[in-house]
Amino acid sequence: MAALYRARGRSRQAVPLDRDSAGRYLPLLVAIMVYLAVLAVAGALMMTKLAERWDSGLAGALTVQIPPAADTAAGEATLEAVVAALAATPGVRSAEPLDRQAMSALLEPWLGDALLGGDLPLPRLVAVTIDTAAPPDIAALQARLETLAPGVLVDDHQRWLARLLDLARAVELMALVVVLLVVLAASIMVAFVTRMGLAAHQRSIELLHLIGAQDAYVARQFQNHALGFGLRGGLLGLAAALPTLYLARLLLQRIDSGLLPELSFRPHEWACFVLLPVAAALVTMLTARVTVLRTLARLP
Amino acid sequence: MVRFEEVVLRYGNGPEILKRVSLQLDPGSYHFLVGPSGAGKSSLLRMMYLAQHPSAGRVALFGRDVAGLSRRETALLRRRIGVVFQDFRLLDHLTARENVALPLRIGGQSGARADKARSGKEVEELLAWVGLADHMDALPPTLSGGQQQRVAIARAVIGRPSLLLADEPTGNLDDRMAVRLLYLFEELNKIGTTVVIATHNESLVQRFPHPVTRLRGGEVEIAAATPAERSAAPRPGA
Repeated sequence: MAALYRARGRSRQAVPLDRDSAGRYLPLLVAIMVYLAVLAVAGALMMTKLAERWDSGLAGALTVQIPPAADTAAGEATLEAVVAALAATPGVRSAEPLDRQAMSALLEPWLGDALLGGDLPLPRLVAVTIDTAAPPDIAALQARLETLAPGVLVDDHQRWLARLLDLARAVELMALVVVLLVVLAASIMVAFVTRMGLAAHQRSIELLHLIGAQDAYVARQFQNHALGFGLRGGLLGLAAALPTLYLARLLLQRIDSGLLPELSFRPHEWACFVLLPVAAALVTMLTARVTVLRTLARLP
Repeated sequence: MVRFEEVVLRYGNGPEILKRVSLQLDPGSYHFLVGPSGAGKSSLLRMMYLAQHPSAGRVALFGRDVAGLSRRETALLRRRIGVVFQDFRLLDHLTARENVALPLRIGGQSGARADKARSGKEVEELLAWVGLADHMDALPPTLSGGQQQRVAIARAVIGRPSLLLADEPTGNLDDRMAVRLLYLFEELNKIGTTVVIATHNESLVQRFPHPVTRLRGGEVEIAAATPAERSAAPRPGA
């Protein structure tokens, strides 16, 4: 009986798009798109955090590397001369040589304690902190220290850091490209399904026109439907991405290297993720509207 | 109200469906359009409700040449025209009530709550008047042909159109209901609606004192004949 008579309630759309088989899988496709977009944005955010972390960690720091000397006494003398020269340099706040024990601790994970216990010649390192407001001239410092310790290397990490920042920017760009491709793919799908809907409901649409509907009225039928499945699909995609992000966070915590940042997001970054399904819904809605209006405008 | 000047209609390179048809319907008039099947009645109506453009000649509605209308203007003009289609053209997924209310929804007359209540009441009254009080929430496929036709008629008149066009509106109705509906059209006509009814049921037409235009083979055989002129004119095939 329910199929023959309908209880009164909210008026149904004049074009029964919810019955279309072509649009049945669109929410799922939008969900996949939003899932990929969330992961791409999360990857970009993480890369940015990584770059920021390393940048801030290395800002105001230099490492001076003195080649190993032939004998220990000469090596110690050279080290003292370099540390004294560094301390006397304007813009240098402190210069702390790493003793052999600290060096061994640094290298042990890679070389093992057996090798380090022997006579393996190791360079001496001096950790230098500088005044970032008035930093020393690195080239001049390098030249001056060269006279005290031939082969000395003053590393301000900038070349390495610049490459890292380039990588971070590249990942951000790739994430942006992924998001744009996702938007493009979603738009093409929605346009395709909308055209199929227009063809399938040609008779109903013709009737609506004949009783005075403007193209915008017909477009509203499609855009409201598209907004609905866009939002449903978007929220589903976001919901599926959250466990993936949580899993990635657990994996990062297990690495516990200190090199990688923790996968946690600030409120405005969460807002970005929440906006993705909304943006997906708006894109699907606008695509449907534009497709309908353009298709109908071509009709006689 | 409606003016056809030397109107020719043909589909593609096919034969002429209408041949240099000229006619004029004054505002507030009530016309019957009669003729055998294939005479061109439906094609003439299609041009009146702007579903078809003439191949040649000029069609003017409400004093405006329809050739130069934009899509928006066409839509707004159509809202002043009520049409009873021969094949009813009801939307199967909407109830009888929703089908009848459709022109009001499209015209934006059922948006506000007060308007909605008022238009809802009008829809119910009209459906009751056409004898469908017990079928307001029925879907069209569950209704008989006659019942569907009455829903289509209610939808055509709900917006109190300035011009009412009906293509065989009594085709599926018994005589009693057919006469009753033609009287409904007369009521609308009395409040200023121009009515054009295309039918092949000439015996029904004889009961009403309104001018009749007879089409035959795409040409106007008799234009706007009054009852006296009709009785003087030779019967078709005589």
